[in-house]
Amino acid sequence: MSMQSTEQFSPVQYQRRSQLYRRHIATGAAFKAVANILTVDAYSKTIEEVQKASHLGLADLSTHPRLGFKGSGALSWLNQQKLQLPENPNQAVQQAKGSLIARLSQEEFLILNDLDMASLTAEKLEARYSLDSTDGVYLLPRNDSHCWLALTGIQAPDCLAKLCGIDMRVDKFANGEIAQTSLARVNAIILRYDLGVTPCFYILSDVSLTEFLWDGLLDSMQEFQGVPIGISALKKLSQDI
Amino acid sequence: MKILTCPLNGPRNISEFTYGGEFHHMPDPKNSTARKWAEHVFFHANEAGIVTEWWFHNATSFWFLAERNTITDEVIRTFNASDIFSERQEFNDQTTNAGSN
Repeated sequence: MSMQSTEQFSPVQYQRRSQLYRRHIATGAAFKAVANILTVDAYSKTIEEVQKASHLGLADLSTHPRLGFKGSGALSWLNQQKLQLPENPNQAVQQAKGSLIARLSQEEFLILNDLDMASLTAEKLEARYSLDSTDGVYLLPRNDSHCWLALTGIQAPDCLAKLCGIDMRVDKFANGEIAQTSLARVNAIILRYDLGVTPCFYILSDVSLTEFLWDGLLDSMQEFQGVPIGISALKKLSQDI
Repeated sequence: MKILTCPLNGPRNISEFTYGGEFHHMPDPKNSTARKWAEHVFFHANEAGIVTEWWFHNATSFWFLAERNTITDEVIRTFNASDIFSERQEFNDQTTNAGSN
């Protein structure tokens, strides 16, 4: 896909912006519209960025939809929606169209839309949900409460080791595993779901800490020559099987 | 760093947890005396030996229970609160002010 210039697509034209959009503009990011959202396409030439992303990259997915459901009826209601659900807490399962469903506890689930916005799982579930007719299920809007970052590459576990007490080496922390823990001394959900053969750790944390986490992660990535990356690099990695 | 094993998340640094006080059953707010209620809210037995305590995992907002030896600071076991509270506790008169005489 071709890169779009910042003149053509600017975050200020969109109601939903990442908390990092000023940083993205300052870094010379090119933006791309994916369905009804705007996200960073790339910071440099995509081919170079893919290489860097497979080594160590950090992407901002905060404009991508996400939401949660919680309550004693959440499991059965999500089952009725014909979704594949993880059997145990702290596991994630990918759906046919690429969205991820994470089980955060026995009765709490988090839904992350796919990168292409092909499934629209989060929007569909939100539209189907009604507090009155859905007993024991509570909607947890996550678009405004949590930022969503992706740390990719073979050096990602080494980078995370500097900030987090959990062993995230790829042979210790399986694909689809989740750790809800402290990252750079802030609470975060870390979900490993690889893009093709490249390790990928999705990070969700309090939205008010987005800039702190972004800067802290980039700082921690410096010694491994890690760089910010856009969604085109992520997509290319996911196709690299 | 001390390690505490969360029943939901597994072994974690103690810095991820908050201590929630001694575990004891809540008296019935409708029939409790002010003295009994105050003891429940404010007083701790502070026993030397194995006690049951509330602990909270900050990253998941998850409350659980731990048996800990307060002499050796050894945690004997941690377990879900649902092992003790299997059903919701209801009190008939929700408007009762338990703190008054």
